[in-house]
Formats: sequence, structure tokens, C-alpha cells
Amino acid sequence: MDTHKLIKISSITKKLLIGLFGAFLLVFLLFHMCANLLILLHDGGKAYGAFCHFMGSDFVKIFEIILFACFILHAVLAVWVWFLNKRNRPVGYHKPSRTKTAKGSKLAIVSGSLLLLCLVFHFYDFFFVKINFVEGTYMVKTEEFMNNSPTLEVSEEAQMVFLNLINDGKASDDMLWIRQISAEDKAVLQEAFPEAEFEPDFYTIAHQKFSVWHIVLCYLVFFFLVGLHIRHGFESAFQTFGLNHYKYSRLIEVLGIIYCWVICLGFAIVPIGVFFGL
Amino acid sequence: MNFTLHIWRQENAKAKGSFETYKVSDISPDCSFLEMLDILNEQLINDHIAHPVCFDNDCREGICGMCGLYINGRPHGNDDGVTTCQLHMRKFKDGDEIWIEPWRAKAFPVIRDLVVDRSAFDKIIQAGGYVSVTTGGVPDANAIPIPKRFADMAMDAAECIGCGACVAACKNASAMLFVGAKVSHLALLPQGQVEATERVKKMVCRMDELGFGSCTNTYACEAECPKQIKRQNIARLNREWICQIFGGNKRPE
Repeated sequence: MDTHKLIKISSITKKLLIGLFGAFLLVFLLFHMCANLLILLHDGGKAYGAFCHFMGSDFVKIFEIILFACFILHAVLAVWVWFLNKRNRPVGYHKPSRTKTAKGSKLAIVSGSLLLLCLVFHFYDFFFVKINFVEGTYMVKTEEFMNNSPTLEVSEEAQMVFLNLINDGKASDDMLWIRQISAEDKAVLQEAFPEAEFEPDFYTIAHQKFSVWHIVLCYLVFFFLVGLHIRHGFESAFQTFGLNHYKYSRLIEVLGIIYCWVICLGFAIVPIGVFFGL
Repeated sequence: MNFTLHIWRQENAKAKGSFETYKVSDISPDCSFLEMLDILNEQLINDHIAHPVCFDNDCREGICGMCGLYINGRPHGNDDGVTTCQLHMRKFKDGDEIWIEPWRAKAFPVIRDLVVDRSAFDKIIQAGGYVSVTTGGVPDANAIPIPKRFADMAMDAAECIGCGACVAACKNASAMLFVGAKVSHLALLPQGQVEATERVKKMVCRMDELGFGSCTNTYACEAECPKQIKRQNIARLNREWICQIFGGNKRPE
């Protein structure tokens, strides 16, 4: 086989790859949705904070890289296929098509592109805080302050900030964590305790963001787009992998609808719940 | 019944085409769509208005796959499971405006008016849509045991008449339903399984080369197929392709 043929990926292989990466993203969405539900627990962010702490570990970072690779490859391949497909009908029809079809598929490229746009804003709200691209609210383990050498001189300013945080009740009940540290306070504390590892306090960030009605509305639109996209994706993945059978295709379709609703409602309940203080 | 027809007219493959408007009157509701076009052509000839409209047709009983027009935004018109020749004028309302277009696809260039060159389908078949048999005596019926279910599924796939409505309906001009049906009806039978791996590879590669799009699971093809070939055939094609990649000989039905 010459190189030309190797580079040229068959149309079915391209579809298979899109489906494979998409299937991984589908599983990720379920995981993400389940984790989000922890925000609704009335425990002052204890469970969700612990989860976020786990997500910051090196082990998870590997999955993060795989996840981003999947996202990028899924999108790049889909846009490539869309672009190639555009060329296959140079002269279009005068009358628009009146064929009854799966709507989600026709809208997949539109909903997908809009999703990418929404993702940028979603990243601005959350992920960019994690990679220190955007300032947010932080949390830190109390023990981090204990680890510093006793000879270290702690500035008065840092002591004030620390005491204020404790007095304002920002420490968790078991005194393990201090939360809701603003970016300015973090900067002061970081200077005093250079070895202390601050983590983004996503629980507080979520509560801050979701108390604004237009952000809640934007996220609901975002989840609707997610739903629209996976309504096509779930069933489509089975078809692409050849897992379509006259006996089970109806079952797969029903499962797809259930999955779509579970994801949509599971995601939507968090901003709604936080906004209305449920 | 009276109709206003907007028909795509194109002198030859290279000419720039355009829509022409014609009126036909006193059409019987029992008239088939092609018979209505015959009446129009007679008018055009007798009244020296224009060259008759060219369109493909042969058996006119819905089994040959020659006819195929894109009528008011649907291949084979506004009826399910029929070819254009089996579409009757009673499906339209009196005084309707009807837009008639040829199949539009890069792989199906227009030859003249409503006639397109569908030899791309033949090329896909030539690539592997056959069983290489050494001719000889006719084997006894039932000499090769085939489960009834498999025989039925193979027969359903073999119903494909290669009219090209799937390509015409598909937003990507993909021929996956056609190739899926052709691969399926052979893959399901013992005679076809010997060459199954090679077949799917050759036919899919040829399909890509000829400028058909790739499938995005919109299922417009299934909705418009006059023989109601099912999307399961595309899934089977995908399955065969996966088996081909991994080089296995075991192919689930």
C-alpha cells in the first residue's frame, strides 16, 4: 500500500473514529453530571470539595489529557467530514428537502459548533481557574500552613487575612479546609506560605455563578444543546459501530432518549437548584 | 386536473440549465407521473413549443430502477415506497405547482434535462458486488442450508433496484444505503461469504473514489427508498468494514 492510500482514510473509518471519541465523551458527560449533583448536597461543599481535590491529582490528569484529545479529535474529524461532504453536491436542489429525517443528525454540526462556543465560556467560569488562567475563589487545606518551617516569618498582613478568614467562618467544621478565599487574599497568603497548595473552590464558584439569573439561563441553553447533540450521538454511535439490529434498534432508540433526558435534567437541576436555594 | 410544471431543462452535460414552466391540463387522477410527462411531451412536439423533456424510464412498474425524479423536494415524489413511475397524479391537488429536478450529486452528473449518469453505481458493483462462481450444473435447491431468517434478510436487501434515490435524498450525497444493501444481500448468504472481506473493502473504497459522501446517520435514504431498504443494512456494512479492518473471518449476521 502506498503512502497516498494510507493517508486517505475511508469514509467509514472516519465515522468510526468520530463515534469512538464521541462514545468516550458520552461516558464522560454521565460522570461529570453525577459529580455535579454533589453541589446540591447541603454540606457546605465538603463532598464536592473532596471530589475536586481528587480531580486535581496527577492520576486524573492523564484522563484529562485523553479527554481533551477526544474532544479535539471528535470536533476536527466531524468538521473535516462535514467539509468533505459539502463537495459531493456541487449543484443543489431548488426545492428544499421535504424528506422526514432524524433532525439531530442534520443539526449535529450546528449544535456541535455552538457547544464548542459554549465550552469556551464554561471553561472561563471553571476550568481556566484551575489552570490559573482566570482568577476565581480558592480553598486550601489547613495543614498546608502547619507544614511550613516554624522559623518562617509570617507577615502581619497575612496573619490578618488568615484570622479574618477563620473569624468569617470560612473554615470547614472539622477545620480541615479553609474555603472561599478571594484572589487577593490568596496572593497575600501565598506570599507568606509559598509551599501551601491552593485549589480552586469550585463549590463556591458554582454558587457565585449560579446566583445570577442570566448565567443560569445561558447554562440551560448550553444543556439543551448538549441534549440535542447526544440525542443524535447516542443512537448514531450504535449505528456506526454496526450494533444496529432489527430486534434491538427500538431499544437502543429508547435508551438514547432516556440517556439524553437523564444527562440534560441532571445537569440542569444544579444551576436551577442553586439559584432557587433548593 | 391541471398542473403548472417547473422542469429543469439542460441541453447537455456541459450546458448551463434552468427551470422552464409548462402547463398541462385535463390530466386524469389515475394517470401516473411519467404518463403525465408523456402528455406534456406530446404537447411540446405537436405545438412545436420545445424539444420534449428527457427523462429516464423503462419498465414503468416499479421494478427496474430506471426512473427517478426529484419532485417537490422529495425523490420519487410525495408517496412512500414507490418509484416515480408508480406515483399517481391523485397524490397531487388540482392546480398544484410541481417542481421537477434531476438527481443532484457529484457522482451523478446530468446528461440532459432530467437524465443523470448513474454508471457510478455500476462501477461500485464491478468493484466487488458479485460472487465469482465457476459455472456448471445448476445445484439442487436446498443443497446449501440457509436459515429462513437469513434468506429473508438477504432478499429484503436484494430488493434494491439501484435507482439512486438514496443518494439524491442524502444531504451528503452518500451511497451507503445502496452499498449497504449490495454488501448485505451477499454477506448474509453462504455463497457470498467466501469473498465478503475483500468485497466490502473494494466496494467502499470505490464508493469513496467516485465522489459519494459519507454517511452521517440522517436516514433520509431509508425514508425515500422506493424498496424500503432498512438502515440496518448500513449498520451491517459498518460491521463488515470493522471485520475487514481487524481481519477476522467471523462475521456476525
